[in-house]
Amino acid sequence: MRGNLKDFSPTQILNLVSLAKKTGMLAIDRKDVKANLAFKEGKLVFVAVGDADGTLASVLQRSGRITKEQAAALAKRAQQTGDKQLGLLLIQKGYVSQAEIIQSIKKHALAAVNQFAAWKEGLFSFEPGQQPGDERITVPLDLENIIVQIARVQKLDEQLEEEIPSLDIHLKFTERPQVKMKELQLNKDEWRVINFIKPENTIRMIAKSCNMSDKQIRRVVGSLREAGLVELVQIRKREKLSDEEKSKKVALVSRLINHFQSMPAD
Amino acid sequence: MQTQTVKMVITGPFNSGKTQFVGAISEIDVVATERKISSEAERVKDQTTVAMDFGRITVDDDLVLYLFGTPGQRRFDFMWEILAEGMLGFVVLVDSARPETFREARQILETFRAYAPTPYVVAANKQDMEDAWALDDLRIALKLEEGVKMLPCVAKEKETVKNVLLELLYSILEEMEEE
Ligand SMILES: Nc1nc2c(ncn2[C@@H]2O[C@H](COP(=O)(O)OP(=O)(O)O)[C@@H](O)[C@H]2O)c(=O)[nH]1
Ligand SMILES: [Mg+2]
Repeated sequence: MRGNLKDFSPTQILNLVSLAKKTGMLAIDRKDVKANLAFKEGKLVFVAVGDADGTLASVLQRSGRITKEQAAALAKRAQQTGDKQLGLLLIQKGYVSQAEIIQSIKKHALAAVNQFAAWKEGLFSFEPGQQPGDERITVPLDLENIIVQIARVQKLDEQLEEEIPSLDIHLKFTERPQVKMKELQLNKDEWRVINFIKPENTIRMIAKSCNMSDKQIRRVVGSLREAGLVELVQIRKREKLSDEEKSKKVALVSRLINHFQSMPAD
Repeated sequence: MQTQTVKMVITGPFNSGKTQFVGAISEIDVVATERKISSEAERVKDQTTVAMDFGRITVDDDLVLYLFGTPGQRRFDFMWEILAEGMLGFVVLVDSARPETFREARQILETFRAYAPTPYVVAANKQDMEDAWALDDLRIALKLEEGVKMLPCVAKEKETVKNVLLELLYSILEEMEEE
């Protein structure tokens, strides 16, 4: 099974693997990044996307349980022992619990599969039967739930695209916000965007300043708006009319007004 | 002298009353192509506009106003952009009694606003219905910014339709005076 994500989307692949309860390795090759997802009987057991390679050292570092330096040392060690042995060692020495390891791996897998789900293109191939090496720690995850979640987020993005069709529109704070800023729990992205809200800035300009993609900025603006903090304002790029054109238009509109005002009621 | 024509666009969700609105004030029969629809979700009424509503109001020998109702169902129809071009302003019709359509009304407003920087008003239609939402509540539900005019409307009654169009014209005039 091979193809391009352009024609067969990540969600479609995940659905297929899940429904057909496939076992094997899905490899995706994009110019900038590679990914590998291993499945066993329709469950996701291992995933590596780019630098998030799914090794124990990287997973623990990403979840903030160990430092970069510690991760580097552990990675070296794992080359000889393998992740399973390494994990056992860490548990025995009391550095982490088994539950923490599993939690970290799950978190990594969810983040990685979500990242993969957003890909719009890339060559993929599925190698039936292939599994990650024996030394890897695998945590089987149900795909159904993951797919539902992904679909939900994608649906949300579609809705946002309809609600905010153009990014060339300005943002302003609402006059009487229903919520007080201080009481609001804003995340980092939301604060960043708020910093750039000025009458002269369009959403697109704010996205650029915050280094955000169209999708990201729509999500942030969508939630700020949902909270009643900001509203979209259209700054009219009005056609520049000459004085003559303007008085013509005023006359025309006045004629229409007169006409309606003197229209008999039925 | 050549007759000058200007146009306004009447938009809004499916079944909000666009055909009715244009028909109430047009001096010609509304030229709308109605066709039986099949979609389960939209079987609220059994016909929908597939072409577009087209109404005419003759001011005098050399000035004619055309009203175009946007075709139903497909919101991002290429026709919308064409319709929006050169319009004097637009009206967004909302069925005040069907809150499930408010979100779409808002999206439609946003889409049209992105097409053209013209003034617009929102008409809260079907105010004669018992379960019609009050204007103040509708404003909030539709997330209308302050300063956007929202007018009560019963598209079956010419007087309210006339008022909506007049308010839109006032907005157009006000905007030109602002400059
Ligand atoms: N009660 C009431 N019914 C209306 C009003 N405006 C339209 N309708 C009805 O709502 C339905 C949809 O109207 P229509 O103009 O076809 O909607 P469109 O899809 O937007 O063109 C029709 O059955 C109309 O008779 C109104 O102001 N009050
Ligand atoms: Mg119609």
